[in-house]
Amino acid sequence: MTEIEFDFETEALSYMDQLYAAALRMTRNGADAEDLVQETYAKAFAAQARFTPGTNLKAWLYRIQTNAFINTYRKKQREPKRSDAETVEDWQLAAAAEHTSSGLASAEDAALDSMGDSEVKRALAELSEDFRMAVYLSDVEGFAYKEIAEIMDTPVGTVMSRLHRGRKLLREKLRDYAAERGMKDKRDSGTTTATAAASREQEVRDDA
Amino acid sequence: MTHDHKAECAEALDRLFEYIDNELPDDELIRIGEHLRSCPPCEAEHRINEKIKGMVHATGGEVAPDDLRSRVLATLREARKAE
Repeated sequence: MTEIEFDFETEALSYMDQLYAAALRMTRNGADAEDLVQETYAKAFAAQARFTPGTNLKAWLYRIQTNAFINTYRKKQREPKRSDAETVEDWQLAAAAEHTSSGLASAEDAALDSMGDSEVKRALAELSEDFRMAVYLSDVEGFAYKEIAEIMDTPVGTVMSRLHRGRKLLREKLRDYAAERGMKDKRDSGTTTATAAASREQEVRDDA
Repeated sequence: MTHDHKAECAEALDRLFEYIDNELPDDELIRIGEHLRSCPPCEAEHRINEKIKGMVHATGGEVAPDDLRSRVLATLREARKAE
């Protein structure tokens, strides 16, 4: 031990909010998320002798939580793990992409500004587990690719592939939501505007 | 559009997420940054992806419920007793 004693318990407990937020993304259910975090801490306290002070405690805890989720909750959950076949080659081929036309891009950019938190959360929740967690760990928690690789126990190339494909799907979902909303707005305004009402009146008169 | 420019676009789009995630070595970071500033369609792609990353970031920040906190502290007391 160094002069300033490393307080494992205090340090570990300081990540509870973050572990809970991640558990919510994993289990997509508050009660299971709480159970998962409790299990994570029980395992972490029991294994604390194996933690090397000075290394990344946050990533170590996330790793324990990810394993606990895989071993306990995934089995318990009805939803089977979807296997989106993924290989590095796969996205590298797909990434030979070209940019969209500037008109489409600026419309998409503008549509994103009207998106709320709940729609982004919904889109993320709809991604399959590996994509969802890779995107979450990078975008929300700010982990580096190397750390995500450790947490998910997978090579860095796989992390990149998951991020690439997860974000692409997420973007498509947000685009779909914007399109759905656009159509709904059109329908709603069609039934409420004065002109629409006037034209319906006209039709009624014509029919009579 | 010249052939070289197309190749630059392909590289920038291929590396876009690594650029956004700050995972590139300095020389590539500079090269791709320069391309993005000089190519409006690539910059539009960059802006959209950067914006989505920010939106996902903003969905975080849930706070652990109090009862979870007490349950974890109880777990900790159990672990201390077991030592």
